[in-house]
Amino acid sequence: MAKLIFRLLLSFVVFVGIFMVIQDFLTPESFGKYGHYRANAIDDNKLVTPQYKGEQKCASCHEDIYDLKSETMEFDEDEYILHSNLKCETCHTPKIDANTDCKVMPPKIESTREMCGQCHSYQVSRKNKIKMIDLADHNVEKNCIECHNPHKPWIE
Amino acid sequence: MDRIDKNRRKFFQTSAALVGGTLFYSIVKPFESNAQVIEENEDKTINPLWGMGVDIAKCIGCGKCVSACKTENKVPKEPFYFRTWVEQYTVKKDGEVKIESPNGGMEGFEQSVPNEDIFKSFTVPKLCNHCTKAPCVQACPVGATFVSPEGLVLVDETYCIGCSYCIQACPYGARFMNPIKKVVDKCTFCYHRISEGLDPACVEVCPTEARIFGDLRDKSSDLVKFLQKNPTQTLKPHLNTHSRVFYNQLSSEVK
Repeated sequence: MAKLIFRLLLSFVVFVGIFMVIQDFLTPESFGKYGHYRANAIDDNKLVTPQYKGEQKCASCHEDIYDLKSETMEFDEDEYILHSNLKCETCHTPKIDANTDCKVMPPKIESTREMCGQCHSYQVSRKNKIKMIDLADHNVEKNCIECHNPHKPWIE
Repeated sequence: MDRIDKNRRKFFQTSAALVGGTLFYSIVKPFESNAQVIEENEDKTINPLWGMGVDIAKCIGCGKCVSACKTENKVPKEPFYFRTWVEQYTVKKDGEVKIESPNGGMEGFEQSVPNEDIFKSFTVPKLCNHCTKAPCVQACPVGATFVSPEGLVLVDETYCIGCSYCIQACPYGARFMNPIKKVVDKCTFCYHRISEGLDPACVEVCPTEARIFGDLRDKSSDLVKFLQKNPTQTLKPHLNTHSRVFYNQLSSEVK
């Protein structure tokens, strides 16, 4: 073939070759293993330390409170779940990560009317889903926990 | 005369060879897999396919899931960074729909419309839908976001260039730019928890069990039972994202 064509083809092949070498050098390992992404990134996403420990961890030390909370209300031969299915950490937000003893920073909470109201305040969107209370009406001067034990909220 | 004929003949021969070769290749290519040796897969475990169910009939809009997610995943506290959030829909008797999400619903909601004007009202928790055909994965120019073999849409923080194409592409508004890490952040179904057999933080704290998490391939999981019992829908099904978050009692007003 003509000299020019040969030279063009040769330089094309050389540049493509150099490009492929550089690309191979720069692509991280594990890229392309499962698709067009770095497969090791899946394991990178696991490197977060969990904060929430689960109920059983709380129950291992605070067994008495856990047993109290697990009681259901019996009324008229019906069983009402109330707070018995509620997890400890729903209200007691953990302050430190799951691998540390909770005595380091105990998850204490401010029991205010607003705190109980976050779930129990009257809203039309909550009808038939949860027992609601009108906070502006019901014992306005008192804190909820003065009458209702949050771990056994019904009054016999 | 001779030289012209020889070149023309050579041209026709070369082009016929190229076309014939391409035709032959295109016929043979579909049968390429027959020639490949099937290697024994040492890892015989079948990956789970994670999904989530949301029961709007149970959600009370307390916002505990929103704050749990922020605590668990160290999401910035400012009110525009959410991996999951709750929206309150109030449909008035005159037909007007009011949608509110004060601080993502983190401190709960207040009823802004008087009782007598409300026709119906409900709260909808939202999060990344981990779509099987995720538009965000398609939009990423570098391959920093992907659908993992377990079905989760994850972000590779070392690869993301921060262009935000994926944030624009997501029809559910689930992604955001993390101001500290300067890369894209989103719900990961708490991958660090589910790979240890725990539930995601939002599922763990929900007081009414309105969020159900599980493996779609495991017939005994809570999620599969939830899907069998209830007529569920996904958000924006017309976009064909094949989302894997299923809502029970999803109203047509939900965007």
